[in-house]
Amino acid sequence: MAVKRKLIKERVPTPERPAEERVKDFAEVNLGYTFELAVREAERCLQCPYDYAPCIKGCPVHINIPGFIGKLLEHRDDPDRAVKEALNVIWACNSLPATTGRVCPQEDQCEMNCVMGKVGDKINIGKLERFVADYAREKGIDEELLFEMVPKIEKKGQRVAIIGAGPAGLTAAGELAKLGYDVTIYEALHEPGGVLMYGIPEFRLPKSVVGSEIEKLRKLGVRILTDHVVGKTVTIEELLQEYDAVFIGSGAGTPRLIDAPGINLNGIYTANEFLTRVNLMKAYRFPEYDTPVYVGRKVIVIGAGNTAMDAARSARRFGAEVTIAYRRGEEDVSARVEEVEHAKEEGIKFEFFLNPVEFIGDENGKVKAVKFEKMKALEERDAGGKKKIAGTGEYVTLEADTVIIAIGKHPNRLIINTPGLKVERGKIVVDENLMTSIPGVFAGGDAIRGEATVILAMGDGRKAAKAIHEYLTKKREENA
Amino acid sequence: MPYRILEKKELAMNEVWYKVHAPHVAKKVQPGQFVIVRAFPNGERIPLTPVTWDREEGWIELVTFVRGKTTMRMANELKPGDELLNVAGPLGNPAPMKKFGKILAIGLIVGIVEVFPIAKAWQEIGNDVTTLHVAPNPMVLLREEFEEAVSRHIVEGFDLQPGWGMNEIAQELVRRAVSRVKELLESEHWDLVFIVGPAGGQKAVFEVVKKYGIPMEADLHPIMVDATGMCGACRVTVGGEVKFACIDGPGFDAYKVDWDELVARTGFYAPMERLALETYLKQLQGKGGEQ
Repeated sequence: MAVKRKLIKERVPTPERPAEERVKDFAEVNLGYTFELAVREAERCLQCPYDYAPCIKGCPVHINIPGFIGKLLEHRDDPDRAVKEALNVIWACNSLPATTGRVCPQEDQCEMNCVMGKVGDKINIGKLERFVADYAREKGIDEELLFEMVPKIEKKGQRVAIIGAGPAGLTAAGELAKLGYDVTIYEALHEPGGVLMYGIPEFRLPKSVVGSEIEKLRKLGVRILTDHVVGKTVTIEELLQEYDAVFIGSGAGTPRLIDAPGINLNGIYTANEFLTRVNLMKAYRFPEYDTPVYVGRKVIVIGAGNTAMDAARSARRFGAEVTIAYRRGEEDVSARVEEVEHAKEEGIKFEFFLNPVEFIGDENGKVKAVKFEKMKALEERDAGGKKKIAGTGEYVTLEADTVIIAIGKHPNRLIINTPGLKVERGKIVVDENLMTSIPGVFAGGDAIRGEATVILAMGDGRKAAKAIHEYLTKKREENA
Repeated sequence: MPYRILEKKELAMNEVWYKVHAPHVAKKVQPGQFVIVRAFPNGERIPLTPVTWDREEGWIELVTFVRGKTTMRMANELKPGDELLNVAGPLGNPAPMKKFGKILAIGLIVGIVEVFPIAKAWQEIGNDVTTLHVAPNPMVLLREEFEEAVSRHIVEGFDLQPGWGMNEIAQELVRRAVSRVKELLESEHWDLVFIVGPAGGQKAVFEVVKKYGIPMEADLHPIMVDATGMCGACRVTVGGEVKFACIDGPGFDAYKVDWDELVARTGFYAPMERLALETYLKQLQGKGGEQ
């Protein structure tokens, strides 16, 4: 590491498909690094020591980032080996790097405090992580690593049930399986993946990538039961009779609606419904796929988070004219910078300081316009650091034949009705080890947070796996 | 999670029965609950009602009425021994199992399938249940089963006239349902009316029942996608509040339902559903002698 290197201030760009081409289909927008480009970007890394590296501190799962980047540099003459060793470093903390490399808000996490940022562009950590995962998958290197790992796993003889095959549940399942537990995931939908399958669009996270991450879990011995709706098909009490511990990773699946007249007009979708039809049910291939979706000529998306960007960009791919209407100002948009930029490049319009007050329908009960109150920003900020807003008493009406509500979600309602499970404002209450009010039942991700990110859910899954391991180790010792 | 089709029966008027191995559902299902079925890799998720089940043997029986692409494709392509890709559930809330007294339980067309397990259970706990099935001849869904299970089973059948389309059938259905219900309400005392069927028919019958002030429950069938409370496709306004039929229902107090909104919402995809069916029919013709 002592080699003196010249500072390279500018980021090596990742190839992207041009906007005019990509709005015509659902194929991936960012094409990712090649090995050569990845090494060039890796060379910019200052290789901060492990104990200091601000990137590691910024990562919710504390991936040894300089460590994996260092492996790419160290073995630059042997790409397969470089990737294998880099992947091994990442896997120690994160079992879904192809996903997180694509969907994490790196600018607010690992990349936020990157030392290179003081003199130039921050290291493109997300794209490097994605490169390692993609290259490994394409070359079968991940399988090779797994193959070496599986025989070394020592079976513990205890069983863990995981509720929900989303980011939190998949991570917890992977970690627990590696520790030798017998893991079964209960998933309500017909495909595992949770929000990675139904929510995040193909052009941002190809479903084949998610499928391959899940396949790896199966190879680790994780059993996945789809079509099982916990709370209906089986209750948590029943799971506790069969399993030694339970992890709830049921997410925030209940869409938040706007309490305004006309919300149930036809043509008004929750983002969850719109994205589920498009992503999970592949409505963009209707009638080859049976599930339809209606995208009109003029689409208004309400909200400005990542989900709003996903919905808007999906609607754009059906050829619609799309406007994002947000009640706050541009500085308070909560979506990732990359998503906002991509949305703008793809011709999506942004309207700020508009708060919907009424949905106006035609004689058949179909939406035709949205009435907004114009808002203004106040100097004061709310608990989330966003500028408070107030109505101006002025109104504007925008035409729309499709409206998508993307203003957030509440935790899944079926699970929180479990007797004895302590819940506050819809969120499951946990202690510092992520254990709920029911002994042996742990929870993480959006089920406890309300609404957060894939990586925070994964961080919880990992933390819960560790806590479950400690809990079950104690149980084993007591029984010994 | 494949679910083997143990038996398949095709009866009159496009009525198809499937006996399906689905132990996780059979173990838990209660009258009033439903399942989501996905039969093909490019298929949709459709709600169906288990009519009967065996908790020990782990099977449920589903009845479909062929009317759209999915039900037709299931009827055409699935054989005993084949597997359904997904059977998720049981979903929704069980029907309230109380002693109401004398109950009129109405099923319009295929809605009668959903009435069956509920009416049977109501009768078993001591209610006096009359069931009324309004449907075009010769549809006799579950007639023998009903006759055995409840106090009285009435079939109000009507003949289809040449040249009738879906609209004419719907109009005749409503006309028959309304007049028969009026007659029954006029001549006897009732403690509860319950109805399952197309939203327009449910609404028309409710308008009649309302005049007599009899308590009325309706199982609603808005369009669903996930049916676990995640997407909100099935939202209905009940008592001025937005409810999700999949997790808050499917049963609601008919007096509180915004029927006009429900009727409008259930019809939204009709043109696309027709396109899907027509495309499928063309594919079948294209295959020529194969079918």
